Amino acid sequence: MLNQHHPDDERLSALASRDDDAAADAALTSHVHACARCADLVSELGVLRTSLADLPDLRPSRPLQLLPPVADDRSATGAGGWIRRLFAPALTAGAAIAMVGLIGTAAPALDGVAGGGGIFQDVGTRLSGGDSAAEELAPEAAESMDVAVPADGYERGDADSGAAEPSDAALGAAGGEGTTDPDASQGGVSRLETFDGQLPAERSPWPMVLFTGVALMVAAALLRWILVPRAG
Amino acid sequence: MTDDPQRTSGNRTPPLPDEAAVIARAADGDRAAFTQLMEHYQSACYGLAWRLLSDADQAADATQDAFVHAYKAMASYRGGIFRSWLLRITANASYDILRRQQRRPTTVLPDPDEGAPELPDIHAVNPVAEATKSELYRHLEAALAHLPPDQRTAVVLCDVYGMDYNEVADMTQSALGTVKSRIHRGRLRLRELMAEHRELFTG
Repeated sequence: MLNQHHPDDERLSALASRDDDAAADAALTSHVHACARCADLVSELGVLRTSLADLPDLRPSRPLQLLPPVADDRSATGAGGWIRRLFAPALTAGAAIAMVGLIGTAAPALDGVAGGGGIFQDVGTRLSGGDSAAEELAPEAAESMDVAVPADGYERGDADSGAAEPSDAALGAAGGEGTTDPDASQGGVSRLETFDGQLPAERSPWPMVLFTGVALMVAAALLRWILVPRAG
Repeated sequence: MTDDPQRTSGNRTPPLPDEAAVIARAADGDRAAFTQLMEHYQSACYGLAWRLLSDADQAADATQDAFVHAYKAMASYRGGIFRSWLLRITANASYDILRRQQRRPTTVLPDPDEGAPELPDIHAVNPVAEATKSELYRHLEAALAHLPPDQRTAVVLCDVYGMDYNEVADMTQSALGTVKSRIHRGRLRLRELMAEHRELFTG
């Protein structure tokens, strides 16, 4: 692009750096030959380029570390190297196991939030084995059971035995439904077996899984902290 | 910005006398050979990084980044001028820093009058000419640092380090026409900045 009289300065700069397209532009070169202002500019830009190309290298103001990877390689193959390499997988595995354990432990409770019954409902169902919690908690029934249960604490669940009859009668006296139903008697037996000293939660493997995961994570972190040499 | 770097006594670092053999050993994993190469070319790499970044600390960081990249890429080095190969890696490392810096802009520009003046080499054949040249370099460096970063990068890579337009375009991920325009505008701006010191060009 030309201004009033002279070529564009960028074109003159291209000519100064001997760009092919500028050098081949006959109008541009003939103008520069005829115009002192443009010839000076091309000449100055040429000198400037030469001076820039002559700029010397620069010494760093502080010593540079020429081989940064050396330290990393040494630490990777040294005493703590295998621990460092094992740390990430161990930590990941621990976290995954802990997460599974956490979900397994919390799932019944979450289920309860969603369904309205939850863990209490589950435990209640296990305890009663029947329909009515009121039946289970009736004091008369408890009394009857005290009578019915043998010294070893277990009702054997024999519906035909004499020992079972007071239990059924007592349940009936409590005003519950199905007092003569043999299933109710079975329900009572189930409850007694449930309360033989083992809580339902203790049978669940999830807390143990959660504990194992957390323990693995802590152990990995501790081992790394103790065994891997630290910088400085 | 920390201390200004010092200019080396010669202009540009020449190749090592037995460079091909040293490069071959370095490519085979010989750390001593690689260290020898980096020691030899650190002024060239640092000079490029400093001119692109205008900051001594960032230039040192870029140079070290370049050494790490070079170390990793050494096995895949396929010949050619080693200095150019290393300078390209340094330019890329510097340009990465420059891009990060542009995303979080700071206004750190060196003062042309800052730092101790370069003393002429009294052992030089012509101390006056050496002093003039030294003064010219000092003003040129300051003028370069006052260019906008895109123009400075293009001018430094092309005019100071002799890369062609295509190389600069690749490195800066810019169109060829954009690169040419930046170079020409950068040169014209440099000429304006150096107008007060025009006599140094003829000295």
